Amino acid sequence: MIESRGVATVAIGLVRPHIEKTKAPRGLWVPFPLGRPFGEPEDKAFQRSVLMHALSLLERPHGPVILEDFAADAPSMRDNPGWSPQVVLTGMATPAACDVAAWTKAITAELAKVIPHWEAAQHRFGRTTVGLSRLKPEAWAPFAAQFLTGAVPESPMQGLSPALVVRYIADDMKALYAEAAQAIGPQPSMAQVNGWFWGKTIAADFLRALRTAAIASKHTGFNTAGSRFIVPGPFVEKR
Amino acid sequence: MARTEDIPQPTRDAVLALAMPELPGSPWVTAKPLKQSRIAILTSAALHRRSDMPFPAGTAEFRELPYDLPATDMLMSHISINYDRNGFQRDINIAYPIDRLKDLAADGSIGSVAPTHYSVMGSTDPTTMAASADGIAVRLKQEGVDAVILAPV
Repeated sequence: MIESRGVATVAIGLVRPHIEKTKAPRGLWVPFPLGRPFGEPEDKAFQRSVLMHALSLLERPHGPVILEDFAADAPSMRDNPGWSPQVVLTGMATPAACDVAAWTKAITAELAKVIPHWEAAQHRFGRTTVGLSRLKPEAWAPFAAQFLTGAVPESPMQGLSPALVVRYIADDMKALYAEAAQAIGPQPSMAQVNGWFWGKTIAADFLRALRTAAIASKHTGFNTAGSRFIVPGPFVEKR
Repeated sequence: MARTEDIPQPTRDAVLALAMPELPGSPWVTAKPLKQSRIAILTSAALHRRSDMPFPAGTAEFRELPYDLPATDMLMSHISINYDRNGFQRDINIAYPIDRLKDLAADGSIGSVAPTHYSVMGSTDPTTMAASADGIAVRLKQEGVDAVILAPV
């Protein structure tokens, strides 16, 4: 759409059937996980090789359509045996489905253990991706747990519906835990971080409980946001 | 991944079932040599400033990302929860390679980095985005951009 307006383009493609069908004038398909179009975090040489391969297609004299494949896999797609989660969450029980006070207490207690690691991650990476909900972590569970009873509380954020706030709390919660899990040590694969978060934390049980409540909810916004945009499909069932 | 066989279910079937528009024509602009080209990034990762509202679901809007917007001031509000964010948590360049583009300009591999880059919501139907494409193209030309790298998530 940009090329037809007079500016040359080259597209990175993560899903090969998509870039084949859309017929980008110049395309580079990359074999990396969704969310990682340049392959490898913190590896300047690897990122540069992807970027340069894509940009080099701009110097081809003949097209459209040019579609090439990037040859190399990203090393961090494989599990890293040197990584283990440093956040220890033993001895904490998952509350019953609709017990708002118990969930609030459990998440608050778990966050107290996780947040020091999150702070270490911010020191390591120089930033955090937490912030979409605009609420501080201590406000997440008291607000979101109300949805477990079927209630839809008033939004604490002007311009965002209560359903969107709960969705962004879920985003923030996942980001806080994932950053905390990466605070020290070698880089884990995404499967390792996901396995820890969705398999070992009360936060993940909380997000599953919110999803269950959303599916039962007659509130259209919460039903949509909570049933489809809190728990990724592969982690709906605890394993 | 994203070799299709590596995408976990049920995400794989959902991704492959997405309707991809076949856009009209076969546009082709002959590009300048890279060493003389000013390059911009257009990301569909729904990146924006921390203080901005998240991208609404299905929005056809675009937002501008100044080349010197600090990584600390950048959030990602893409609607999809079915792709990895851990890489982006470690390094914005995994999705938005602004620092790598600056490296290429510094060593002369490209001419220069555009002053402004662009962000859209990736899951939006492209056929609703003509006005945004118009707006982005006007700005690209105003800033003398020769080529754009389109980056998905």
